Parts: sequence; C-alpha cells; structure tokens
Amino acid sequence: MSFSRETTEKIRAFAREQSRHYLEQAEMTYLENLRRKSSRTKSRVLAKLAKFKSRSETAVEAENDLVLYMSDYMNDLMAEGLSEEEAFERAKNDLQYRSDTEKSADLRERISSYYETLDPAVYEAIGLFYAGFLFFGGTVGALAGLAAGGGRGAFLAGGWIDTLIGVADGGAIGIGFGLISHAVITLKRKP
Amino acid sequence: MVTNDNEQHKEGGLLNNLSEMLKGVLDGIVLEIISRGEIYGYEIARKLRAMGFDGIAEATVYALLLRFEKNRWVRVTKRPSEMGPPRKFYTLNEKGMEELRNFWARWNFLSDRLNKLRNDGGASG
Repeated sequence: MSFSRETTEKIRAFAREQSRHYLEQAEMTYLENLRRKSSRTKSRVLAKLAKFKSRSETAVEAENDLVLYMSDYMNDLMAEGLSEEEAFERAKNDLQYRSDTEKSADLRERISSYYETLDPAVYEAIGLFYAGFLFFGGTVGALAGLAAGGGRGAFLAGGWIDTLIGVADGGAIGIGFGLISHAVITLKRKP
Repeated sequence: MVTNDNEQHKEGGLLNNLSEMLKGVLDGIVLEIISRGEIYGYEIARKLRAMGFDGIAEATVYALLLRFEKNRWVRVTKRPSEMGPPRKFYTLNEKGMEELRNFWARWNFLSDRLNKLRNDGGASG
C-alpha cells in the first residue's frame, strides 16, 4: 500500500530525526559491550566510533530502515481499519525514541542500589577519620611550629605566628589524610 | 463488567512484568527467529506478535537490529522495495550463530537452576 505524498514526506522527516537517536543508542551499547570485554579496546573503539559517525551512509541506512519499518507498521494499522492519518500518528507515537534506554535504566538501578546499600556506619567512620586526622595534624603542626619558633619564651614574646602556621599546615595535612581514607573506603565499597 | 476490568488489569500487569523479564532474553529470541531463515525487520515484529509477545514496544526490533548490525552478528542482503529505499533481509553469520549458541547455553543453565529451585527448593544442587 502506498501513502500520499504528504504522509510519505512526514514519514521521511520522522525517520530522519528518530533514527539518529536509535543509532546513538546502538553505538553506545556496542561500545559498552566492547568495554566489558576488554578495557584495552577503549581507544580502538573510540577511533571506530569516530569513523562510524562520519559515515553518513550508515545514518542514511538507519533512516531508510526506519522508513520501511514505519511504513510496514502503518500498513498493518490501516489494514485494521485506521485512516492513513491515524495510522501515522499512532506509528509516530509508538516508534518515537524513548529516553528510557538501557543507559538511563542502568543509571537508575545504580542510584537505587547506592541508596539501598547506604550504610550510616560507613559515613560516621569517614567523618571520624576527617576529624581525627584534623586534630592529629593540627596538634602535630602546632607543636612543630612552637618548636621551630623558639619554644614557649618566643611564643609569649610574639612568636605565635609560627605556631599558627604550624596549626594551619597540620590541619591541611590532616584533611589530606582524611581524603585519602575516604578514597580508600569508597574503593573498598565499590561493587 | 467489573470482572472484565479486573481481568484486563491483571493481564496488563502480567505483560508489564513480562516485558521486564524479556529485556534479558530478547536478543536470544530475535537471534533464534533470524536463524530460522532470511527475514526482514518488520516481519520479525510480526512474528513476535503472532507468538504472543504483544507487550514488546514497536520500536524494539528496529533498535535490536541496528545493534546486531553493529555487533556484526548478521549478514544483510538488500533488495528493492515498493516504498523506495532498499529493504534489508537478515541472516545470521558465524558470529551471530555463536552468540545464539551462547544464549541457549545461558538459558539452559538458568532454566535448569530455576526448575530445581521450584521443584525442591534447590536442595539437589
């Protein structure tokens, strides 16, 4: 069954727009599959992807495939009694690319898994690591600053600036250790 | 009338659950259909509907075939169509056959374990 010229143009416009999304989805899934097989393939795949994107022939093929797919579907709908316009609207709605792809579903799954496995004790431990290292670093820094500045006598005579610098340096080192501990805990909890 | 509504509601729920379960096996189903002989995209969708898989989204087969081509699981033959652009007919190549064999091996493993679980709670190991 052939369609009116207007409908044919609308099918072509729809296919041109939508096939790009499906093609991108196919490329991403392909990329993920290869990544799963070997991390070494990443650069090779990216090069391949760039090459693939530049091949307009592939995009035209995907567009043509969707034109035929949609036309077949519309023919079935019209055989069921729908008018050409109704069949087009229905096919357009049913074949529209949905953002609910494997990628977003996977992301949702990971977020939900993250919240499901969220353990308050781990976050308490991370907080204590930060606080512990901050106090430890601050104290060591203060003592080092006090000693480097000339001891108690010098401190009372205005040498407190060395102690203050020591506290600040020690605090920064403490935060650094806290960050490293946080990273270690995060890596250990990585599924 | 109420009974009909309930039945429709139950059926809708069943199909929703089914399409979630089908996500993991749809590749295998379509590979098996292609392995039976040369076929074009929309014909696969028709076959799925005829088999009772009504809940599958209309665009699923189109999206799957794009991926099969990217994965090089299929051999494509183009033939002229009445709509203008050439129509693609698909057959499985050796890589696609291997993927299909792997799918059935995974399926057999899963099915075996699930049957054991259902029959005796998995006690027979």
